[in-house]
Amino acid sequence: MGDRRWEGATLGNGWMHRSLIWLLRFIDVRVFYVFSDLFIIPWCVLLRPSRRTAMRFYREAMGYGWWKALWSTYRNHCLFSQVVIDRFAMYAGRHFDVEIVGHDAFKEMAAQEAGFVQLSSHIGNYEMAGYSIVSDRKAICPVVFAGEKASVMAGRSELFAQTNIRMIELTPDMSYLFAIDEALCRGDIVSFPADRFLEGSKVVKVPFFGREASFPQGPFSVATMRGVDVLAVNVMKGGPKQYKIYLTELPYDRSLPRREQIRQLSEAYVAELEKRVREYPLQWFNFFDFWAV
Amino acid sequence: MEELINNLKLQIIDALNLEGMTPEDIGNDDPLFGEGLGLDSIDALELIVILDKFYGIKLANASEGKEVFKSVATIADYVAKHRTK
Repeated sequence: MGDRRWEGATLGNGWMHRSLIWLLRFIDVRVFYVFSDLFIIPWCVLLRPSRRTAMRFYREAMGYGWWKALWSTYRNHCLFSQVVIDRFAMYAGRHFDVEIVGHDAFKEMAAQEAGFVQLSSHIGNYEMAGYSIVSDRKAICPVVFAGEKASVMAGRSELFAQTNIRMIELTPDMSYLFAIDEALCRGDIVSFPADRFLEGSKVVKVPFFGREASFPQGPFSVATMRGVDVLAVNVMKGGPKQYKIYLTELPYDRSLPRREQIRQLSEAYVAELEKRVREYPLQWFNFFDFWAV
Repeated sequence: MEELINNLKLQIIDALNLEGMTPEDIGNDDPLFGEGLGLDSIDALELIVILDKFYGIKLANASEGKEVFKSVATIADYVAKHRTK
């Protein structure tokens, strides 16, 4: 049996994060990329358990040979480090070139009275979407892990203060449920990652890279509960200062029984996720045994 | 009240996909979460939507929800007092 545990918070402490944000105001991100690629990532690949799950992903899911899988594991960790640096660079006020594919789907949904759901994944750099796909009419309410580091939350809050982004923290009590429901009833946009789940929560099993994997039932339940439109949002890194946002409407038949709606929606989400991962295999950032039973 | 309790059980079974269960399988005072029916937080959101959709009740906050969602009997009691449809 594999291990599906994940830490859910950005590495490093508050002092390190604040220092990085300060430095990124003056130093180009590429300097940090090179430093990280040469001096930090090799040690991470040697010492952190993430190398095993990454290697298994490239060997078993992508079907790579050993040397290609090893090189991909190193590049995958480098890219992960780069998207984290980019995130702090955003907090420092840096700007990136962003190309949006499927923007019309977002604009159409945003023009309606009803709210809708955006489903993201732990690939690429989802947080970049928050600054690029915005609506004049609707607030975007991302559901975020409450255990994230204070410095990251402060960085987000500072940036989001100038936007119509209203974070909903996933707390142990029921308050976040009320916030989600209220947001959808108000006609706002609720955004969830739909590829990770907390232990004990309900899952749906969907074929992913040829093997059955578990995905959280919650995001699909919430969307079908209110019968709202659903958009997959995947933000992939291109060049050093470039990102590409893929917006894809996920269809499901609202006349079917709920169980069927959840199945259709989860399968559409997973198909889109697999398509993007095959296109950008080095930006798969689920560093745990994703197919664990 | 018995009719309301039965309707609530049917709505819960339907919304939560509790396959193979009948209203008789759910005791009026059985806890819905944890050791009882084993519902989770997303199921709580389903209950919030049931109250809104079928009875026109919008729960105000999480602490109120915690009390209301203890059992089918507590939900029925709350619905009887606050329903608008």
